[in-house]
Amino acid sequence: MIINVDLGSEVPIYQQLRDRIVEAIAGGVLSEGSSLPSTRVLAADFGINFHTVNKAYDLLRREGLLQLNRKAGAVVTVTPGDPAFRADWTARARTLLAEAVARGVPAGEVLTTCRSVLESFATTQPQDTP
Amino acid sequence: MTLAIALSSALSTLVLVLALVLPSIASPAVPFGVRVPARYEGDPVVTRQTRLYRWRVLVGGIAAAGLVVVLYAVTGVTLLLPLSVLLLVGVWYGCFFLANHEIRAAKAAGGWFEGVRPGIAVDTGLRTDPPRFPWLWLAPALIITLATVVIGVLLYPSMPDILVVHRGIPDRTAVKSVATAFSLVFVQLGVTALLTGIAAAIVFGSRPDIDPAHPATSARWHRRYLTLGVTVLLGLLALIDLGMLGSSLLMWTGTVTSWAPLVVVVPILVGVVIAVVVLARNNREPDEGEPDTGLTHREDDKYWRGGMFYVNRDDHALFVARRFGVGWTLNFGNPRVLMLLAGLVALLALVITLRFGG
Repeated sequence: MIINVDLGSEVPIYQQLRDRIVEAIAGGVLSEGSSLPSTRVLAADFGINFHTVNKAYDLLRREGLLQLNRKAGAVVTVTPGDPAFRADWTARARTLLAEAVARGVPAGEVLTTCRSVLESFATTQPQDTP
Repeated sequence: MTLAIALSSALSTLVLVLALVLPSIASPAVPFGVRVPARYEGDPVVTRQTRLYRWRVLVGGIAAAGLVVVLYAVTGVTLLLPLSVLLLVGVWYGCFFLANHEIRAAKAAGGWFEGVRPGIAVDTGLRTDPPRFPWLWLAPALIITLATVVIGVLLYPSMPDILVVHRGIPDRTAVKSVATAFSLVFVQLGVTALLTGIAAAIVFGSRPDIDPAHPATSARWHRRYLTLGVTVLLGLLALIDLGMLGSSLLMWTGTVTSWAPLVVVVPILVGVVIAVVVLARNNREPDEGEPDTGLTHREDDKYWRGGMFYVNRDDHALFVARRFGVGWTLNFGNPRVLMLLAGLVALLALVITLRFGG
């Protein structure tokens, strides 16, 4: 998996790391059981502080997407989102959609974008349960 | 003497050709070891410096060769011939440094890095699924070394009592003993251990420099180059061991000929040429049409002292890819590298002292 970090971005590096890993899980690049390098190794490869990687991994651990242990290092796990996660996610999606509407992006374009992004994740997306 | 002249000429030609070809095979993102953003890769300053560099190398190289020829004709000192290769390398570095300096100055004056989005790309797969060490390529070197030992043991009873010891050239005689008869076997073992260690350090302890503009292409190329580089290194090792086997055979059979040094030098020279050619042909990341991410490699010139030597204390890597050249270079800022180098120097000093003492 390739992680590209934008040093000029306003988004903090740990957040970028976390976002790229979440996207890789959604896109099927990483799946349950995939391993990631240890914090020290990843920090060394990036040439960034070890605490930055630690922060990203810790965030993913709390979100139930990463298991950290001394022996196996970092392993991807998938914990289905509970109602609290879904409520939180809806609130964030609301803000994101509001940004598009407020800036005058037509509703049709917003929907097309959402659909094409979802389709790009299609390989790992769970089928709709009735 | 003709042999020494031929060998020095061959080596000098190799250095000269490599020096002239390098601007075309080194990464365009680091012309003459200076990190530049993609839109400045074909900048007139770079083009001009490339032309000037080639002229300087050509003229300087010919002048250096001429100087050595004249000095050799006057003094007849054979040592001048290998020194000519060193002189050529010095001329080459001088020409490189001039171009490096000019491009760095133009970059600073023109603010080339203003307004670019710096990024860093990492391929986690290189750590979680590292390239395999090509163990099979180590087999020829091990088989040749083992064969040397077996042949030596079998021939030992029939060896002459006074052996002509070869150190490149048959230069002295010694009373037959295990230490003298098997001296080149010890060299084989030492070189095999050293080069295998370097190969392992390149596979497991090097840091890839992935281009954030085209990270997927860059990561794929890095993986391929790594395997290729280690393979040719192990191939070179096999040829060095072969040279030692040949030289041992001459010593054990008591053969003294004028072409004895060729037995050592030709396999090594062939190995070096193959390694350089293979790496040079694959030295540049291919353009696979990957869309540009809009990110640019961060400016990291400060870690390259004199444009050529990588010194970065914060980098855990033992080896990094060379910027202007083929293959890898050591990270001289890494304390582990410094300790290993010190250990190697101490070991060499010990071996030399023991040999001269004995």
